[in-house]
Parts: sequence; C-alpha cells; structure tokens
Amino acid sequence: MMPQESHLVLCVDDELVGLQVRKILLERAGYRVVTALNGDLGLELFSSEPVEAVVLDYSMPGMHGGEVAARMRQIKPAVPILLLSAYLGLPAEVTSLVDLYMTKGEGAPILLNKLSSLLHPMPAS
Amino acid sequence: MNLGQFHSILRQVFLLPVVALLLTAGALYWQILGANATVDLIQESDARISQATLIAKLMADEESGLRGYETTADSRFLQPYNDAESHLPSEFTRLEDLARTDLDQKHYVNNLENEHQTWRDTFALPLIETVKAGGNTDDPDLNLTGKEEMDMIRRDLQNIISNAETHRMRRVAFWHKQVREMLWVLLFLALSMGVLIGLFMRSRLHAVSDAYRNSLEVLSHRAEELYQSEQRLRTTLDSIGDGVITCDASGLIQMMNPVAQQLTGWTQAEALGRPLEQVFPILNEETRAPAENPVAKVQRLNEVVNIARPTVLVRRDHTEIDISDSGAPIRDKTGKTVGIVLVFRDVTMERKTQDALIANEKLAVAGRLAATIAHEIHNPLDSVANLLYLMRNGGVSEEESKQFMDMAEQELARVTHISRAMLGLYRESRAPVPVDLGEMLGEILLLMERRFSDLGVTLATQLPSSVEVAAFPAELRQVFTNLITNAAEAAGRNGTVKVAVEPQLAKTDPSGQKLQAGAIISIVDDGPGIPDDVMPHLFQPFYTTKGEQGTGLGLWVSQGIVNKHGGSIKLVSNTSANTHGTTISVFLAANPTINTGGD
Repeated sequence: MMPQESHLVLCVDDELVGLQVRKILLERAGYRVVTALNGDLGLELFSSEPVEAVVLDYSMPGMHGGEVAARMRQIKPAVPILLLSAYLGLPAEVTSLVDLYMTKGEGAPILLNKLSSLLHPMPAS
Repeated sequence: MNLGQFHSILRQVFLLPVVALLLTAGALYWQILGANATVDLIQESDARISQATLIAKLMADEESGLRGYETTADSRFLQPYNDAESHLPSEFTRLEDLARTDLDQKHYVNNLENEHQTWRDTFALPLIETVKAGGNTDDPDLNLTGKEEMDMIRRDLQNIISNAETHRMRRVAFWHKQVREMLWVLLFLALSMGVLIGLFMRSRLHAVSDAYRNSLEVLSHRAEELYQSEQRLRTTLDSIGDGVITCDASGLIQMMNPVAQQLTGWTQAEALGRPLEQVFPILNEETRAPAENPVAKVQRLNEVVNIARPTVLVRRDHTEIDISDSGAPIRDKTGKTVGIVLVFRDVTMERKTQDALIANEKLAVAGRLAATIAHEIHNPLDSVANLLYLMRNGGVSEEESKQFMDMAEQELARVTHISRAMLGLYRESRAPVPVDLGEMLGEILLLMERRFSDLGVTLATQLPSSVEVAAFPAELRQVFTNLITNAAEAAGRNGTVKVAVEPQLAKTDPSGQKLQAGAIISIVDDGPGIPDDVMPHLFQPFYTTKGEQGTGLGLWVSQGIVNKHGGSIKLVSNTSANTHGTTISVFLAANPTINTGGD
C-alpha cells in the first residue's frame, strides 16, 4: 500500500488540531506533508515548494478554499486539489474548480483513497 | 348686518314717526294759536257792536225821557234821561277801551262823546231848564237843532257799529282763510310726513331685507358646502377598505360604513343608537376575556388609541375574525370630546400570512444554524475519526497513543459544548424564564465564532454576567443571532463588531416618558453604514440587501419578537467616510408584560 516514492502534499486548514492529525495521518501513509493555517500561507508554500497535491479546507477565515483553489490553478494548474468541507453543500462554481471534494468526517480511508487516486490516475486506462 | 345695526334700525323706525308727528302737532298748534287770536278779535268786534248798541239804546232812552218831560213837564218822565245820563260816561269809557289802538274807532267814539256833550249842553239841559221854569218849549229851531244833533249822534253810532261790523267781517273772513290754510297745512304735513315716514321705512326695510337675503344666500351657500363636504366624507368612508364606526360621547353608535356593517354583521339601521359593545364585542385573542371597550379607553386616555394586542371581533352570527383597531376622540371647538371614531380592519388573512412568514423565517434561521452546527461538529469529528484510524492501524507508541486520546477527548469536548449550545437554542418554554443575557450572547457568539473568523471580523464583547430579563430564550437567540450575523456581514473583512450588554435602571427620559428597568444590548459594527434610502425599509418583510442569501424577514421577525417582549429596537447608522458604521440597540424590560400568542 505504501507508495514507491514520497509525494509532497500541502494541507491547508485553519483548524489546528485537525491539521495536525491530518499531517500525522498522511505522514503515516507515506506522504511528505507541509501545512498552512490559512490561505495566504498555503499559497506561499504552494508557490515555493514542489507540491504535488493539495488537501484544502473550504471554510477558512480570510480567504476561503474556493478562492485559494482558484489562485492555485493560476499558479500551477496541473497540481491536483482535494477540497475538504464541513458543509454538506458547496456552490457548483467551487466544486468545478477542484479535482475532488469530500465532506469532513467521512473517515481516513476515504481521504487516503481519494488522495491516492489523484496522484496515481488509473495507469491501465 | 349685525345685531347692533339691526337694533339701531329698530330705534330709528320707532323714533322717526314720533319726531315727525311731534313736528306736525307743533305746526298745527301754531296754526290753532293764530286762529284763536282771530276768534278773540272777532269777539272783540262783537263786544264793540253790542257796546255801541247799548249806548244807542241809552241815548234813545235819554231822548224819549226828555221828550216825555217836555210834553208833560212831569219830572217823573225825566227818570230814563237821568238813568242814561248817569250810565253813559262809563259806557263811553268802555267803548273807548274796546277801540284800543283802532284810531278810526277812537275818533268816532270821541266825536260821539263830543256830539252827545253838545246835544246835552245845547239842547237837553236848556230844554229841562225851560220846562222847569214853565217856559215855552215849542221853539221849532230849538227842537230842530236837538233833532239834528241827535241825528249826528245816531250817524256816529251807526259809523261805529258799521266800522266794527266791517272789522268783524274782515276778521271772520281772515279766520275762514286761516282755517282753510290750516287744512292745507294739515294736508301738506300729513302727506309729507306720510311720504317721509314711508320712504324712510322703505329704505330701512330694504336694508333689513337685503341683510336677510344676504344671510339666506350665505346660509344656502353654507348648506350646499356642508352637503358637498358631507357627501365627500360619506363617499370616502364608503370607499375605504377599513371599517369605520362613529359613536357619540356616551358610546352609542351613530354611523357605520359598509365595511363596518359587513365585518360586524349589523346594518346601519339596526346598529343606530345601540351601545358599541353590543355591536362591536371584542375579546382578547389569548385569554378570551372581553377586551376593554375602545370608547371607554379613548375617554380614559383622551387621545388616539392604537390597539396593538391581538383582538377578536365576535360577529353577529357568532363567527370570529381577527381585527386590528384604533380609536380617536372627536373634539368640538372647545376641545371637549363629543364622540369617538373607531377604525378597524379584518386581519385574519394577514395574521395567517404573517404566521406563515414567521415560520418560514424560523426555518431559514434553523437552516443557517444547522449548517453552522454541521461545520462546528464535522471539524472535531473529522479529527476524532482520523485519530481513531491511526490508533487502530497500530504502529503507535504508548506516548503517541496517549497524545492522540487527549486530542480526541479535546475535540469531543468541543462537540459536546456546541451541542449544548445548540440545545439551548431550541429549548422552547411556554412561559418567560429568567435569561442571563451575557451568558446567552456568549453562547450565540461561540456558535458564530467560525462565521466571524470566516468573514475576517474581529469581535469585541462586553458581557457582564447576571444581567437578567424575563423572556423566551429561544426567540431572543433568534433575534440576536440575526442581528449579530447582520453586523458581522456588514463589518466585513478587517471589520469589528462590538457586542455589549448594559443594565438600565428605571428612569424618566427628558420627554417625560417613564422607562422601565431592563437592559440594553448594543451591537455596533464599523461597516459602510446603511444609506438613507434603505433605512425606511429595514423592518419591512421581504426587504433584503443580501440577494438570494436573505429571506428579507430577519429584522421584521426580530422586531416582532422584541415588541412581543415589550421591548424596542433602535437603529442608528452613519455612512460618512470616517465614522461609518451601524449601531443597533435592543431594549428589553426586566419584567415585561409579554404579549403571548401571535407566534
């Protein structure tokens, strides 16, 4: 299950505990993780680090996930973005920006699966 | 013409004939005086004539006495002569007196006297002497002289009498003339006074009749105006959609417009003169107790009364409708209340619509809260789920495991806290309970913390504990959630919202109005402020500045709830460049009389 090489994943969330737990979880799953507590910091790291995937929280003070995603698309359009949200319904213009989105609380396996599918699109087909 | 002028005319009409008749009487009196003087003169002439006649008789007696003596020589025959001789001087004097200023007459009288003297001296006395002496008296010359002298006397007497008669005739003619003149004067005066009085009366009566006609015209004009004005008002009353009832000061019905007749089920004719409470029985919607008769209330307060509480009108067929009503005193010029006008409206449908809208807003608020809560709960749940996953999949040291469990516990505590706050939000109570405003606002702000940070709004609070009011907590939460959300959205990124609670003691404001003890909750934002053209619409239903995001019911419902709690909402806004922002203050009374119902 462990990926061959270690991918660098950027996690952006204003929830400190949630972010820490997510970092541990992803590191245990073999990723290298950088974290940011808000959108601005996230964008800085996104520009400066060779980030391969982004796990982005939607609801954040200042700049919300949708805005952050839109800017990231402008900087590095190819980097896949997984949007996490505590809300059930997100506006269509936000979900269309990102590669995948899921609701917080769906569980760690689903998060890991979805992230993995973003980094390793089905090689066979 | 006023009453004074009319009285002056009455005086003139009384005085003028009196004065005119007095003048006429004066003229007549003067005429009669003249005629009387003439009559006196006529009487004087008569006296002269009779005096002259008397003298003539005396002289005749004298002569015949003398002749008798001459013939008989008997001195007894001389008796009449002697009598006449003794009377004549005084009778001459009288005749002379009667002549007065008549010189002719005087002249004749003097002649007569002289001739009589001559006759006596030259004839009568010598004759008597001769007879006494026994002499001859047949001398024809002597007798002829006596006769001639006596003839002259007779002529003089005749002259005197004819002169007096001429005077008398002239005077009688003059008297006749005077009487004729008097008749003419009388006729002239009567005619001229008649014409004068007639003309004067005519002119005065004209003045009075003109004034009367003017008054009549003014009256008929006024009556026409009054009629038109009444028609206008009647048509207005008939056309408006509200029921209108007017009562006299004792509360007996005078007038009902068609809407009032339809709403009460009484016709105008049936209701006329009946007491208002019989035709317009109203009940308190909640307690079903008879509500205070609006007439009594208006009389008690002597001002316009708006009855805000829910009221039920029992119609004549015992069906019921919800109404809102207001009463106002009708005052006369002196300010005395002479009647009461009552305006009311069927709000059954309106009430139902409002209820539906309020329910809708409640759902919208609940929906927004549910989303907030989902977020607040999903975040910690996500962490807990992730931690459990890590611990189950092994490879976790004892220390790490302990750390993970602490973190999970911490996150679960958050969930519990939020769930408690949420439960508090929906704890419905039937009666008002003491609510600690600081505590309640703290809970609301806790739930909204996320929203504040999302919006980038800084929160400042001043929430002293144990400021309590009696209220329905769930409803107040709805109000403050709404108001704080508005403030946060208005403040926007880098904005500040201040929420403060301040107890207020009972006091009297400068305008003399008593303020109850309670608390003022102020929510201040430094947003752009509310433009003046928006201000009047803020508390209207369906008015929103948030587009699809808002129901347009928030402030309207909030105001309804605060009013129900006997409180008030005041909003002050400023759009100027440096000091922009909005302050919303909610006053809640510590022990309000709560209008239950309507919810």
